[in-house]
Amino acid sequence: MINLRDKGAAIWENQGRFGRIGIALGAMTVAAALPFMGGTILNTPIADYESVLVYPIAMFVLMAIGLNIVIGKSGLLDLGYVAFFAIGAYTMGLLGTRTGLNTWEILPIGIAMAMFSGIILGVPALKLRGDYLAIITLGFGEIVRIVALNLGTLGRSEGIINIPTPPGIFGIEYRFDSHRIYYWTLLMLILLAIWMVRRLSVRRAGRAWESIRQDEDAAELLGVPTFKYKVWAFVLGASVGGAAGVFYASKTLFIAPDNFTLQISILILACVVFGGMGNIWGVILGAVILGYLPDRIRFISDARLLVFGLVLVIMMNLRPDGLLPRKKREKVLPNKEKP
Amino acid sequence: MSTSILSLKSVTMRFGGVTALNDVTFDVKEKEILGLIGPNGAGKTTVFNVITGVYHITSGSIDLQGKSISGMKRYKITKGGIARTFQNIRLWGDMTALENVMTATDTHKRSGLVGGLFGSPVSRREEKRDKKRAQELLDFIGIGEYADRLARNLPYGVQRRLEIARALGTEPKLILLDEPAAGFNPAEKVELAKVIRKIRDAGYTILLIEHDMSLVMKVSDRVVVLDFGQKIADNTPQKVQDDPRVIEAYLGVPEDAS
Amino acid sequence: MIGNFLDQFWSLTFGGLSLGFIYILIALGYTMVYGVLRMINFANSEIFMVGTFATIIVIRDLFKFTQASEPATGLRLWLVLATALIFSMLVSGALSMLVEIVAYRRLRRMNSGVLAPLISAIGVSMVLAESVRILTDSRPVASPRAMEKKFIGQFFDAGIRIDNTIIVTSALILFAVLITFVNRTRMGKAIRAVSMNPNAARLMGINIDGVVSATFLVGGLMTGAAGFFYTLKYENTASNIGFELGIAAFTAAILGGIGNIKGAFYGGLALGLLETYASFFLGTQWKAVTVFVVLVLVLYTRPNGLFGEALTQTRA
Repeated sequence: MINLRDKGAAIWENQGRFGRIGIALGAMTVAAALPFMGGTILNTPIADYESVLVYPIAMFVLMAIGLNIVIGKSGLLDLGYVAFFAIGAYTMGLLGTRTGLNTWEILPIGIAMAMFSGIILGVPALKLRGDYLAIITLGFGEIVRIVALNLGTLGRSEGIINIPTPPGIFGIEYRFDSHRIYYWTLLMLILLAIWMVRRLSVRRAGRAWESIRQDEDAAELLGVPTFKYKVWAFVLGASVGGAAGVFYASKTLFIAPDNFTLQISILILACVVFGGMGNIWGVILGAVILGYLPDRIRFISDARLLVFGLVLVIMMNLRPDGLLPRKKREKVLPNKEKP
Repeated sequence: MSTSILSLKSVTMRFGGVTALNDVTFDVKEKEILGLIGPNGAGKTTVFNVITGVYHITSGSIDLQGKSISGMKRYKITKGGIARTFQNIRLWGDMTALENVMTATDTHKRSGLVGGLFGSPVSRREEKRDKKRAQELLDFIGIGEYADRLARNLPYGVQRRLEIARALGTEPKLILLDEPAAGFNPAEKVELAKVIRKIRDAGYTILLIEHDMSLVMKVSDRVVVLDFGQKIADNTPQKVQDDPRVIEAYLGVPEDAS
Repeated sequence: MIGNFLDQFWSLTFGGLSLGFIYILIALGYTMVYGVLRMINFANSEIFMVGTFATIIVIRDLFKFTQASEPATGLRLWLVLATALIFSMLVSGALSMLVEIVAYRRLRRMNSGVLAPLISAIGVSMVLAESVRILTDSRPVASPRAMEKKFIGQFFDAGIRIDNTIIVTSALILFAVLITFVNRTRMGKAIRAVSMNPNAARLMGINIDGVVSATFLVGGLMTGAAGFFYTLKYENTASNIGFELGIAAFTAAILGGIGNIKGAFYGGLALGLLETYASFFLGTQWKAVTVFVVLVLVLYTRPNGLFGEALTQTRA
């Protein structure tokens, strides 16, 4: 089977420093230019093209990067990822409508809330075996939704309305219909998340997660504080979900429990699995494709969850490593840093 | 007289109604190679599992340099100075040989997640130092050339040795080798015996489980024999071989049971 | 409130018991599969959901009951009920076997670890729920009343309703049949052998694929029966009922100790009663939360359940 990842990695590794910067800049330019391509074949017949770029595509990418820390890097199946998204969104909704705080001030609070709930859920749940973790997180996702549905402060099924948009910065105005501004801001958040994941993956944390994913018992017996690193993975994943939630609420200006169903968790899971668990570029690719196609092809739009379910089954059975698998290839070059 | 690094006192381990270890007492002395032998099911691997904290002992005590380690978290025991290899190889297959060892060297790192995220000087320094250390260990064990190969693609014999290098990565005082020669041919066994001695000469203490009697008798300074979860002999290789109880325990079992 | 509760105690208890028996049957689906594969069959909730629709198909389309038609009586009533029960069981049983082939078999042969089959089963479960949702236009479907819900007796203040009685009796019979099957028949013994030690069972010449298929079939049959009883009791279903019932039944299985058939029995009863009582005090909207809290408490405090094996990983 062709291994796109290896092809890509080979091109990347054969570039010098300038080549790499060039590729990175090129990719960023393409991503940043996407809002201008509405008139081309990329246009989405079902929904407004530029708003599709914001949600689902960019939002899915961000959440998929977060979930990938949990499931792809450390092998922990979290089926309640939507809970952190919801917690971020409701933090924005509540504080944005009841206090004078603006989106940028609420963002760290929302992230902190998501991380905190990640600890509350993770510390007990991560002591359990993998499949029980899946059930517990699944239940947690539902609980958060049911609580939102039944608490008066959270607006019950009507949710929260009139959430403020972010205040302008550097002269940029966030109007609710200025989708491209939101899109570019999300790109920034995505870059930040990529930076965080890449940074962590190459050092101690990355090795610890990798060893936990492959053989947790062996990891523990070779000195890896497995529980600590599992909680970290969980909490970092939650932080990204929380950030996405804050921004989502500040974009749609209206949130309700229906935006935070179990299906969202499964959709993001599908993005991660489809693209390639553990490989951040794969995950991004997966989220872009699965976020985009339902709005491009009408048939898929009607049966979007059905398609996503099929994606999960087919990928797991035929190509469990996803479109762009995690590192498989061995460096052919001799180790340059060899002492 | 050398001091003991690890001492098991009256260690008993029961699983439900089955007694896997019954009142086992022995010491491992600093810088010795102690062989642990016994017929199949005698409780050898159980000894490893109780020392490394996989099982919690029913009664008795296990002390590492005078401090009790029973009930401690497993990674803390490792950090305290005990590392092991596995009878059925349990490397992290999707990591390179070097990364396998580096994951183990992380045991004593001070910098954690946050330092790694922001590239703190401590983290960068430690990363560099550990990479060097890991490569040294691979060279020391004689598999330095495989550093960048994925562990699961390595030849069987190299995998077995990588297990040892990985255990050494945790900077142990005591290393537990669980049948390191399993599946080796005679030439490889001779090679392994050299490596084991080399490890001891580098200052480590070794507790060795091995089925191959000639290997154990050749490298060990002392041999402890288990039978049905009980210690039946604890002596020099020569004396153990002549011990009638040991001969009885092995009677009917071919010497080379593996 | 307490006074009300005491007044309604027996009627709540009967309702809780029949709900408990529905849980038992679904929990058997989880527990049987878990016993053999050591995996949670995520799709079991949807197998149950399909079972409820199978019942409606028999009542509405085969016997042509409508919302306006007279409930059946006498022999015809029993014929309708028996047909619906058997049909639901067969549909769910067959579906369950299909789920195993699609979601699990290939991955099992590849020895792929825990994560892949779980995700694959979640995918199957999603496909089932969504297919039915699309077929039913996302609307709940009411079941025409085939049987008049009359009281057949009195216990203290509470009337004993015929549907609850049928559910409890038939579920007890099914449970007894299952126990006999597992303990007495050749296949039942093979299932037990595989659940105790798959490798030894394989060496003994047991056809593992066959045993796994049979396990899914039996689990599906029980889950399908639950679908029938549910429809009989609530006369309503929808494409999304699987989730809530599924997680409740799974909790019941955990409560009793997953992998343990008798555990599913006690766990199901306990949860059915508990949930009914709790709903009385807290309101039905917190039902799912109650169930989840029970699940969490059991997993943290008594991970072995009341009867089952240890859940936390202690291998090395």
